[in-house]
Amino acid sequence: MRPDAKKKIAAAAPKKGPNPVIIGAVVAAVLIVGVVVAILIGNSSKSGTAASGNAVPVGVVGGTGGGILVDAAALKSSVPTVDVYADFQCPICGQFEKAFGPTLTAMAKAGEVNYVVHMMSFLDTNLGNDSSARATNAAACAADAGKFGEYHSAVFAAQPAKEGDGYTNAQLTEFATTAGITGPALTTWQKCTTDGQHTQYVADVATTSGKAGVTGTPTVKLDGKDITKTLTTADALITQVKLATK
Amino acid sequence: MPQSASSRPSWLPASEGGAELMGLKSQWDTGRLPDVIGLLARLILGVVLIWAGAAKVTQPAKSALAVRAFKILTYDVAGYVGYALPVVEILVGLLLVIGLFTRLSAALGGLMMLAFIFGISWAWAHGYSIDCGCFGGGGTIAASQTKYPLDILRDVGLVICAAWLVARPRTAYSLDHRLFG
Repeated sequence: MRPDAKKKIAAAAPKKGPNPVIIGAVVAAVLIVGVVVAILIGNSSKSGTAASGNAVPVGVVGGTGGGILVDAAALKSSVPTVDVYADFQCPICGQFEKAFGPTLTAMAKAGEVNYVVHMMSFLDTNLGNDSSARATNAAACAADAGKFGEYHSAVFAAQPAKEGDGYTNAQLTEFATTAGITGPALTTWQKCTTDGQHTQYVADVATTSGKAGVTGTPTVKLDGKDITKTLTTADALITQVKLATK
Repeated sequence: MPQSASSRPSWLPASEGGAELMGLKSQWDTGRLPDVIGLLARLILGVVLIWAGAAKVTQPAKSALAVRAFKILTYDVAGYVGYALPVVEILVGLLLVIGLFTRLSAALGGLMMLAFIFGISWAWAHGYSIDCGCFGGGGTIAASQTKYPLDILRDVGLVICAAWLVARPRTAYSLDHRLFG
């Protein structure tokens, strides 16, 4: 053995103490497991609203997660379509409804526009309650009774001053009366609401709207084009709808 | 090294010039001050990452919404990013705080910050009124409530911390130093 060989061997041999490769592998494993678990939990929390009923309400257009057509029996190809994406707990949606709701309803009743309302429920996630989903389910039950537009207006008219206070079940029933649901229709509505018969629809609208690129409310689309920022007054909306009418 | 004097380039003055350069060089390599600056960079970047991750990790659905609000990724991909990001932030932050694999962790942290700066600039440029969701929250807010310049400024500061650590991962009180010498 050459005299310096021993030194060289000692230098080449692994140093005593922890091995960076092993520690690195452990850290990487923790990272991977953490990410996988987070994604699994996230995905399960998303579909957590187990469907007790998956009936699609009356008046839904554009697939199972589509919006509800207000004050019309069917989409008309001759007039423009206005899609409104809103959340019953969103204060700006309440202001939007106050400023534009009556105009849109009137135009829908006159057959000048296809007025489609997509009620989203993501504020439940942000506010930590379930009022948006419950109110949306109740509104979908009102759609079955042919009173979606009226119910929708009644909810927004009673929007709590403080975002996050939500709606009680008693309030939801009051709104049904306000919307003019009476007699046997009210009994059906109550059962539909209590059973959450449109829970799956509520979740579907949220997903479908999200996939359509709607990440905030209110969002207003005219024939598929986002016009939210252009809407300063009701007249601006009427003008745009007229322009889009061929 | 004894030969260093003779191997010095001839254009250097024969006196202290070279020695001063050598001094700066060794100050950068092993100096106490850069070690402490590195420690601060590590702690600032690490603590902010842990704080940001912890604020979001318990609310995956909200985190996914916050990512979707940027309208950069597709619905599903944004969801995965929203779920995974807080976990990654916390782990990278922890590595930085204890000073383990400092250069790699800082590089990851810095890349995340660059991605955030891109995202915030994207939202700003497109005229979206969103909360960056950096520390929980997120989603659409009133235009008057947006604070894109401040968010970007903060992230630029954190990129500088990360860049320092990538350039000079040696820091005071690091696990790297204790374990691997």
